Amino acid sequence: MSRGLARFLVRLAAILLPPSLRDWGRAMAAELGTIEGARPALSFASGCLGCAIRKTIAHHSLKRPRRLAAVCAVCAIGLGLAYLSAAGAPMRYLAMNSAAAALGLLALGVMTETARLTRLSNIFQEAIALALGFALLAVSLFGESADGVTRWISVGGVLLQPSLFIVPVLAVRFAWSRDGLSTLAVLVAVLALALQPDRAMAGALALGLAASALVRPGRNAFLATGGALAGLAATFARPDTSPVAPFVDQVFYSSFDVHPLAGLAVLAGAMLMIAPAIVGWVHDAGNRHAYAVFGAVWLAVMAAAALGNYPTPLIGYGGSAIIGYLISLVGLPPRAGAGAAGRGEEGTRPDQVEPPHHLRAGISTSTRLRPVSPSYISPA
Amino acid sequence: MARNRTLSAPARIVLAALLDGGTRWQHGYDLCQRAGIKSGTLYPLLIRLGAQGYLDAEWQAPAEPGRPPRHAYRLTAAGRQLARANPPLDSARGAPGLSETLA
Repeated sequence: MSRGLARFLVRLAAILLPPSLRDWGRAMAAELGTIEGARPALSFASGCLGCAIRKTIAHHSLKRPRRLAAVCAVCAIGLGLAYLSAAGAPMRYLAMNSAAAALGLLALGVMTETARLTRLSNIFQEAIALALGFALLAVSLFGESADGVTRWISVGGVLLQPSLFIVPVLAVRFAWSRDGLSTLAVLVAVLALALQPDRAMAGALALGLAASALVRPGRNAFLATGGALAGLAATFARPDTSPVAPFVDQVFYSSFDVHPLAGLAVLAGAMLMIAPAIVGWVHDAGNRHAYAVFGAVWLAVMAAAALGNYPTPLIGYGGSAIIGYLISLVGLPPRAGAGAAGRGEEGTRPDQVEPPHHLRAGISTSTRLRPVSPSYISPA
Repeated sequence: MARNRTLSAPARIVLAALLDGGTRWQHGYDLCQRAGIKSGTLYPLLIRLGAQGYLDAEWQAPAEPGRPPRHAYRLTAAGRQLARANPPLDSARGAPGLSETLA
């Protein structure tokens, strides 16, 4: 039995390994045949499978960071569904999260394809960013209120929290383009979040912009970060009296009350959300500004969910965060190295790098940057 | 030669085990046992050493009929140089039998 399982694991490892490493899979299988004893064979095979999984993840993440992030998101949503099911959440909660995942993936696909097939002018993209900022402000002023907090809109009887998809998109766009209108759009969003008040999303925006300013300093980055920090401080001036919503808030704690495995599923889902940013940071040095902002925004959303009564993204009940996470993936480069640019490259403006194709529109050739070799590659 | 401080402790132990074998071809599971590390640690290191030109690998005909060919490894000249320049950080923690050869 154990010997058969060991053979299966090594075969699986050989299948998983990237084509360039398939010989190593054969080598592992040949070694397994020489090992005496079922337990050592199983231990050897498990290690081989671990090696293959790591190599496969590294191989795919190096090539297509956005696809890796989408896979991680789907896995995290799946773990969330497992938690909701174990916790006895109503079936319509599971259906809503599943529908949001499908909608988010569809939106991501449409945005990616539209950007690939068309070339929106830069000013048009800036106008969209500004419109999103003002849309968020409109929600703060005219949206649905509950317990003194105004941050929702009702669409067909379903309450959506627009900040969960507008803020991440504005933040990741700012990682690529920091012109005047983009900065203004971010500052309008800061004002909107301060009015709601929404400490979680104000914190997410502030942390995302701070990460952007740290990785790629610039005047507009500092201005936006300063504004976001002031906005975050303003949210603390008013009480946020939202009560705990079951299956939405405090999930990091309540899941362990359901079952230790449910708690572990929630933690694993949270780690999966951040994993693409970490993997990208390590393997795609030329685009670290994008991974830093993306990771910082979602880390802050999760931290807020752990510290206060704020939605737990992807894992708890809530379609807005699922859609927001999936569409914010447009801020990650479709391919590693795509849009990579050196911060200190001669002749470049510190507030601009070449965005990936989906965010690139109408940038004149004179402002395009030459990709440079990531500095972490050494001859040895 | 200056030590390469970026090499991890397991990498140094594997290099020492391969160096210990001299120009003799060695196999994956034997290396696991002699270095005292798991296959999940050994194979990524071997893959990396091979890609960087520090390791030679060849397929060997099976010793017994019906067995598959085995993959065997030994250090290249550059690999031996790398191994000598990067002995295990703490040979007392190395695998039994290695510390003597590294002293």
